[in-house]
Amino acid sequence: MTERPHAVVTDPGKCVGCVACSKACPTRAIRVRDDLAVIDDELCIDCGTCIDACGYDAIRPRTSSPADLRKFKYTVAVPSLTLYAQFGDDVHPGRVLRGLRQLGFDETYDISWMCEMVASATEAFLSESTEPWPKISVTCPAVLRLIQISYPDLIPHLVPIETPRELAAKLRRRRLAAERGLDPSEIGMFFITPCTAIMESIEAPEGLEASYLDGAFAIKDLYGQLVKAIKHDPGPDTFEAISPRGLRWAMAGGEISSMRNANTITVRGLRDVIYVFDRIESGAFQGLDFIEAYICPGGCVGGQLTVVGRYLAQRNIRQLARHLVDQGAVKEEKVRSMLEDHFFDHEAEIRARRVRPLARDLRQAIALKREKDALLERLPRKDCAACGAPDCLTLADDIVRGKAKLSDCVFVRLDELEGGEKPHQGDEDA
Amino acid sequence: MHDERPALNRDEPTDRRAGRDEVLYRESFRIKGNDFEHGGESAAAIKAILKQLSFPTEAIRRLSIANFEAEMNVIMYADEAEITLEVLPDAVRVTVADRGQGIPDIEWAMQEGNSTATPEMRARGFGAGLGLPNIRRNSDEFSIRSAAGVGTTLVYVVRANARVAP
Repeated sequence: MTERPHAVVTDPGKCVGCVACSKACPTRAIRVRDDLAVIDDELCIDCGTCIDACGYDAIRPRTSSPADLRKFKYTVAVPSLTLYAQFGDDVHPGRVLRGLRQLGFDETYDISWMCEMVASATEAFLSESTEPWPKISVTCPAVLRLIQISYPDLIPHLVPIETPRELAAKLRRRRLAAERGLDPSEIGMFFITPCTAIMESIEAPEGLEASYLDGAFAIKDLYGQLVKAIKHDPGPDTFEAISPRGLRWAMAGGEISSMRNANTITVRGLRDVIYVFDRIESGAFQGLDFIEAYICPGGCVGGQLTVVGRYLAQRNIRQLARHLVDQGAVKEEKVRSMLEDHFFDHEAEIRARRVRPLARDLRQAIALKREKDALLERLPRKDCAACGAPDCLTLADDIVRGKAKLSDCVFVRLDELEGGEKPHQGDEDA
Repeated sequence: MHDERPALNRDEPTDRRAGRDEVLYRESFRIKGNDFEHGGESAAAIKAILKQLSFPTEAIRRLSIANFEAEMNVIMYADEAEITLEVLPDAVRVTVADRGQGIPDIEWAMQEGNSTATPEMRARGFGAGLGLPNIRRNSDEFSIRSAAGVGTTLVYVVRANARVAP
């Protein structure tokens, strides 16, 4: 397996070695070693939960830098729809896009239309699909990676349609190159992202050989400058058209809101996603056609890299969608012909990312599992995480895999110091 | 009251040869009737164990479907049950022994589509009548014994490298 960089980095200067991130991590990918949070490549799904959990601002997203813009002859900002929701309903998305251009991008490209087209394409796909049911949306990249690591059986359930952000970048890059006589590689396309997961999907895409985007800036990092730019710009009398239906994709429930197929559900937040995926894997939910699932509780508006938070953002999106006129510019025939041209297709296979089992050999694996169960008996089950692992079970797992020692547990050490009776034999690990 | 046709015993597991039937690992779980709140947890726990033991994914998938159906059957119809996982050298055997009303007519219950689920159960997404046939379809050996008013015992085996269910 190749070394995969993360969407998040820990700052050794700020990390105090508390265990907040380790305990919050849904895939138990973080261990605290020598007062520093260390992330396991194999297990991280780049969901960004650790960023929210850290009280010391020690976990930062790895974003593009302004210097990256200078590598290209022509730059395009492709904002997440969530960006439009950060300002209030008196700021039309058109003003946000103008503001972005003032920050130094040569062009901005709105993806609300592409969202509407992808919703249409997804409906067409669903109407022609066969088993397995239900189909699962691939919009949230953290959900996609959770499936690859923890639910490989659900890979055949994934809708094989690329995301609006990638398709928008693909389309615009192609047209721009033709319009301006540029080589596609001379165009820099940057996503303005609400979350770390999308950032990682640009770095290490699934379903594509390479991303059509060149990098990403966090909404919260551009926000201050953008507010100033918008304030000082009264804006023109007319604005470019935004799709109100597409706009709803920023919120959980948005994908299905523009579908005619009502046999769908929206799953919000990591715990619920895990709950539902466990059941789909066991064969439940087969009566549903489509599931849209988001790691962030409110959908993209709840991303860690946003500013106003999901409640205000949801309200703003609803208001904006109400004010915008639905021009019905996305024609069904157009989507059909693009489907026939395979415009929406994934370009690479989405594969399982197998996490190593205790051992390859069944008898050996059982022996290690028994050892692990016995270790768990010796551990206090307080899940205090003082050892650096998020809970006692994970410490036991680390020990049998040779990555930790029983004496990492402060309670075990205390027992030994007090000369307490050793409950089991065979503790030669000191 | 239920129809009074006699219960049938059928399909005792045949594979009792030494070696292949050696139980390498055994663990049991208790399930309580009507405990919808924890429905599916035993199936999930068994899945987690088998994943750790590097059991093949496809076999785990089939077994999990069978376990989930069996567990929900207990929750919907029985008073309580013990579900026992036994890992064999090249297969997994699960025994679900419940105490409860039993199945008066197994032949009827084994037919696709037949169900006694109440509207409440159907509202929860169960009772499509596929429970028992679904367990049989997703296992390589299947047997059922039931006595009306006493309980039902299911035994099913999923092989590590078996044919894929049709």
